[in-house]
Amino acid sequence: MAQSPGRISLAPARGTLSVFEIALLVLCLVLVVAPIPQNLQDIIVLTFLWAGLATAWNIAGGYTGLISFGHAAFFGIGAYTSTILLVRMNVTPWVGIWCGGLLAAFCGAILAVICVRLRGPFFILSTLAAAEVIRIAALNWSSLTGGPEGLAISPAADPVNMVFASKHAYLALMLGYLLLSYALTKLIDGSRYGYYLFAARDDEDAASAAGVNPLAVRTVALMLSAALTGIGGSLFAQYFLYLDPTFVISPEVSFQFALLPAVGGLGTAIGPVLGSFLITPMSELLRSYLGSKVAGLHLAIYSALLIVVVLYFPSGIAGALSGLSRRKGGKS
Amino acid sequence: MTTLGQLVLSGIFIGAIYALMSIGLTLIFGVLRIVNFAHGEFLMLGMYGAWAMTRLLGLNPYLAMIAVVPAMFLFGGLVYRLIVSPALDKPHLVVVFATMGLSIFMQNAALMLMSADLFDIPPVFGHAVTIGPLYFKAELVVGFVITVICTLVLQWALKSTYLGKAIRATVQDREAAMLMGIPVPRIFLITFAGGSALVGLAACVMMPLFSVFPTVGLNFVLIAFVIVVLGGMGSISGALIGGICVGIVQSLSSYYVAPAFGQMFFFILFLLVMIFRPNGLLGQKGAADIGIAD
Repeated sequence: MAQSPGRISLAPARGTLSVFEIALLVLCLVLVVAPIPQNLQDIIVLTFLWAGLATAWNIAGGYTGLISFGHAAFFGIGAYTSTILLVRMNVTPWVGIWCGGLLAAFCGAILAVICVRLRGPFFILSTLAAAEVIRIAALNWSSLTGGPEGLAISPAADPVNMVFASKHAYLALMLGYLLLSYALTKLIDGSRYGYYLFAARDDEDAASAAGVNPLAVRTVALMLSAALTGIGGSLFAQYFLYLDPTFVISPEVSFQFALLPAVGGLGTAIGPVLGSFLITPMSELLRSYLGSKVAGLHLAIYSALLIVVVLYFPSGIAGALSGLSRRKGGKS
Repeated sequence: MTTLGQLVLSGIFIGAIYALMSIGLTLIFGVLRIVNFAHGEFLMLGMYGAWAMTRLLGLNPYLAMIAVVPAMFLFGGLVYRLIVSPALDKPHLVVVFATMGLSIFMQNAALMLMSADLFDIPPVFGHAVTIGPLYFKAELVVGFVITVICTLVLQWALKSTYLGKAIRATVQDREAAMLMGIPVPRIFLITFAGGSALVGLAACVMMPLFSVFPTVGLNFVLIAFVIVVLGGMGSISGALIGGICVGIVQSLSSYYVAPAFGQMFFFILFLLVMIFRPNGLLGQKGAADIGIAD
């Protein structure tokens, strides 16, 4: 029954921007240009990137109800495609990231053929298994991926290779990616296709009776989500300049994609962004203050918080916020 | 021929042990219709328990069961009360994320307390078991025997005791069971705690064969998921068959192809089953649908 969380939007109408969103955008733009210490800029870069990735995951997980724990596979496919094109064939990442996105979308279509009919835990476990297949393949196909040693991108700053000396450039790049993901989500929010998605997610039988093909709309959503995740993977590679399968395609990365929207508010456009803006800086700061003292302490705190949040705020930060504004008599 | 026999038989032995580790997961899924993503960490906890009993108290790891199994039963009950039960009446995803949070928490708590080092225990038996021309680790054969005994006892208990019948009734139809006066919330608690106790048992059987470290659960939980789905969620004999399939696939492919690809083959096997027989190999009808129904 109450399988999917209610779509609680901070925006009064679908497909339009609220004052809150515009304020957030202005804040982000200020963060891009403001002279901030390097280590804080690192955290903001990651916050934007994870917010974009969480938004991409949310198109499948929140909007469509396809809870994937295998998105690290798309992330890895995007990252490896652009990096292999750059390192082995000298193709600029400005082209490579789109190739990565396309290949990830294609793999998303394959995954959809396998899994899109499955429900609940069966879908979750299949995506987990599919990502493991990709990870083991990447680990063992050394001639292409460099195997466990991984691949490194030359750190010499060169805008053609999408390697920058200034953090401001990376901030702008990641914010651009976040805006792309967010714009697509808002577009879905206000479109006919969006209504098809919600209908198929909330009541499959009723949706098919009304002439919506649930399998087709889900497949498209999964492909879109995979493509955006692939692009995010390429950007990740361009920022860290190093890739190895054990980290990039790990289940931990897949879980992270899902956790941010779950904390922020599933199936809302703003939820994953709020999730990342809260969680990413917190986990980075916990890591830098506690990680060096006691290994594991920062993740233990983080996961304990996560349990409390999902148990007591199942509709996430976005849900809690809009509940608050409703109580004040703001919106209906 | 001898090689093939050796591979198939050791595949069956190790597969049965994998099955023992998955029975708790499949019971919990069948009764509560939730996937416990922290199942692997329960195994990890049990293995640390067995390690501590063996290394610190000098017990035989098989005797450590006497302490580890009841401790895991209590631990499972506690987790049910604190995390699972409050999540049951909320959207399906809540329990997924809550158990996943628990899994990350337990991994990192173990990392803090025990460090990332590998711990193991000395061999229990100094010699191998020979069957004709074939040689097996004695711990492997003992594990197999324990699994077979456990499966038979469990099957009997589910068929013949009042509690077993109540559990099976809850699997078949929760509402009808409640109407017949079965205390369903209590059955949930007992199943979750009992499933955890079974993982503790599996941990004692596995401790002589594998090392324990904070993320050991991740490797095994993926295997357990594969087995549970192959065998049909909620079925004990299914888990045994699924486990043996996975064991044989792993043993053959790591000898004939490459050890690294052994895992890949059973994930592919898993995906193939999902495509062609989403209800599992034995397939009770509609199993693939119940997961999301409520």
